[in-house]
Amino acid sequence: MVNPILLIIIPLGAAFLISTVAGTLKNSTKYIAFLALLGNVWISISLLPQVMKHPINVIISGIKPPLGINLLVGPMGTIFSIIISVAGILVLLYSFKYIEGEGQSKYYTLFLLLITGSQGMILTGDVFNLFVFFEILAISSYILVGYAGDRNGFEAAIKYLILGSVGSIFILISVALIYQETGTLNMADLAGKFASVATGKKMMIMLFFITGMGVEAAIFPLNSWLPDAHSSAPSSISAVLSGFVIEVALIVIIKFVYSIFVMTEILHYLCLVGVITLLVGEFAAFNQGNIKRVLAYSSIGQIGLILFAMSLNSEAGLSAGIMQVVNHTASKSILFLVAGYMIKMTGSYQFKDYKGIAKKMPVSSFLFVLGVLSLIGVPPFLGFFSKLNIIIAALAAGNVFNTVMVFLVLLGTVIESVYFLKILQIFYIGEPVREGIKEAPFTAVFPIALFAVVILLGFLVLPEINMYAGSAAAELFTKIQMAQVF
Amino acid sequence: MIDVISISLVLNIASSGLILIGMYIIFTQKNLIKIVIGLGLADTGVNVLLVSTGYIDGNTAPIFSNAALTVSSMVDPVPQALVLTSIVIGFGVSALALALIIKLFEKAGTLDTSKIRGLKW
Repeated sequence: MVNPILLIIIPLGAAFLISTVAGTLKNSTKYIAFLALLGNVWISISLLPQVMKHPINVIISGIKPPLGINLLVGPMGTIFSIIISVAGILVLLYSFKYIEGEGQSKYYTLFLLLITGSQGMILTGDVFNLFVFFEILAISSYILVGYAGDRNGFEAAIKYLILGSVGSIFILISVALIYQETGTLNMADLAGKFASVATGKKMMIMLFFITGMGVEAAIFPLNSWLPDAHSSAPSSISAVLSGFVIEVALIVIIKFVYSIFVMTEILHYLCLVGVITLLVGEFAAFNQGNIKRVLAYSSIGQIGLILFAMSLNSEAGLSAGIMQVVNHTASKSILFLVAGYMIKMTGSYQFKDYKGIAKKMPVSSFLFVLGVLSLIGVPPFLGFFSKLNIIIAALAAGNVFNTVMVFLVLLGTVIESVYFLKILQIFYIGEPVREGIKEAPFTAVFPIALFAVVILLGFLVLPEINMYAGSAAAELFTKIQMAQVF
Repeated sequence: MIDVISISLVLNIASSGLILIGMYIIFTQKNLIKIVIGLGLADTGVNVLLVSTGYIDGNTAPIFSNAALTVSSMVDPVPQALVLTSIVIGFGVSALALALIIKLFEKAGTLDTSKIRGLKW
């Protein structure tokens, strides 16, 4: 058996290795990062058959939980590990040509730390350990947002840092209260003891936790940093931040609500917040002229949709939400990565300057179209099936509240398709104004095409996707037992 | 006199006070350096809250000494380990924030968030 802790150790070790050898190897350090992530992809995929039978519990340094720290790797953790590693390696491949200039090894170090933080947040079984990985993820993403070194980048990074730190203070307050009330930090132990805490205290711990994580997950009204951070970061980083970082924070919230705190009574509010987030995101995206701000606001919309699906209090909803995460990771990465080279070629962030760009960049534009179609949910793309599943899961409850919510979700989708089709129209109509626009290099087109394969051919393996998402949903839906961690 | 006010109460009041003052500074001040100071205050408040969760009246610090030879005579060591980690993280974040602020000041020439406005604040 491969030890799942390698998923955290390999990128962390490689990050430090890169910073040690950066002086001699200069820009070749990117290959170390590539090999590390290749290892991550292989390990996470090879774990999948095992965790489907029963979750793996890893005890670290021989001290048994609840005293020691453990990793609890179930289907949910493995699926997210695969999403993180695969999206990570494809974006890394894209960065090979996209990130230019000296001092690139810093970029790769931080990129691997970002992967470490996300893997750790998903896999850990200890509440304080979760906070530490959250900080690793957050600090590396603050720096990466400002990596370009321009004024907007620094400004967005500072804004993200201030709000993110407020979020981490809230999480730490909730951790302190958890320890005060239950005397444990182990998630399985906490799940057993949390029921005996007084209701008021429960609510307080829960609200602090959701508010803190909600900043990172960009839930309305805590998302004011996202459009700036995601639009000012280098495009490869925007793809990662939109692709899995906000989803990782969201899934941690969902995991705590369902399987640790077991407080399903607040799910109605989360449902409502999800739909508000969706509508706010889509309406704000509608009026933007900057292509990366459009994509960033659309990410807010999508995270709202995923939150809505996951807080339906049913396994079907959770499984549809996980499918939507896969779809969003693939299609939003395509859009950000293509936008990165379009910005580089035209020198403009405004999509009105991209007139007729499809004549010069036919492959990139075609991949952009595929991404848009899947994001909107046109059959036979993966996005159609995930949105269909979300709507079926929502209507299965058969109450008025859910029906109204589904109506609003569909309204959001309509707005989304209007502004995306407006952009596509600009791509394909007219003649390019600027000379010298040429197709993106192979190292950029190849990873984008692989993302497109996921959303285009996803329907061929739909039963498998449903099965894996279903068992991940079943894992989220049941309370973690202490027996699982011994 | 000591019996009237318990130490836990003092710690709780101090921690919530520090957190509230810090949050007030973060959300009302326009100067970026002052915002970082607010973050530091709120961080300290949380650290006090965290360390107070393991406090047991009359027991000593959990370090190897004559006074703390038995488990029942020392305070809970877990929150102290947690608070060390949290102090280091807080230090790292403040240092990073100040470094970014220096870089932004070089580009924008001001620390006032209402005057920077390259993006929407």
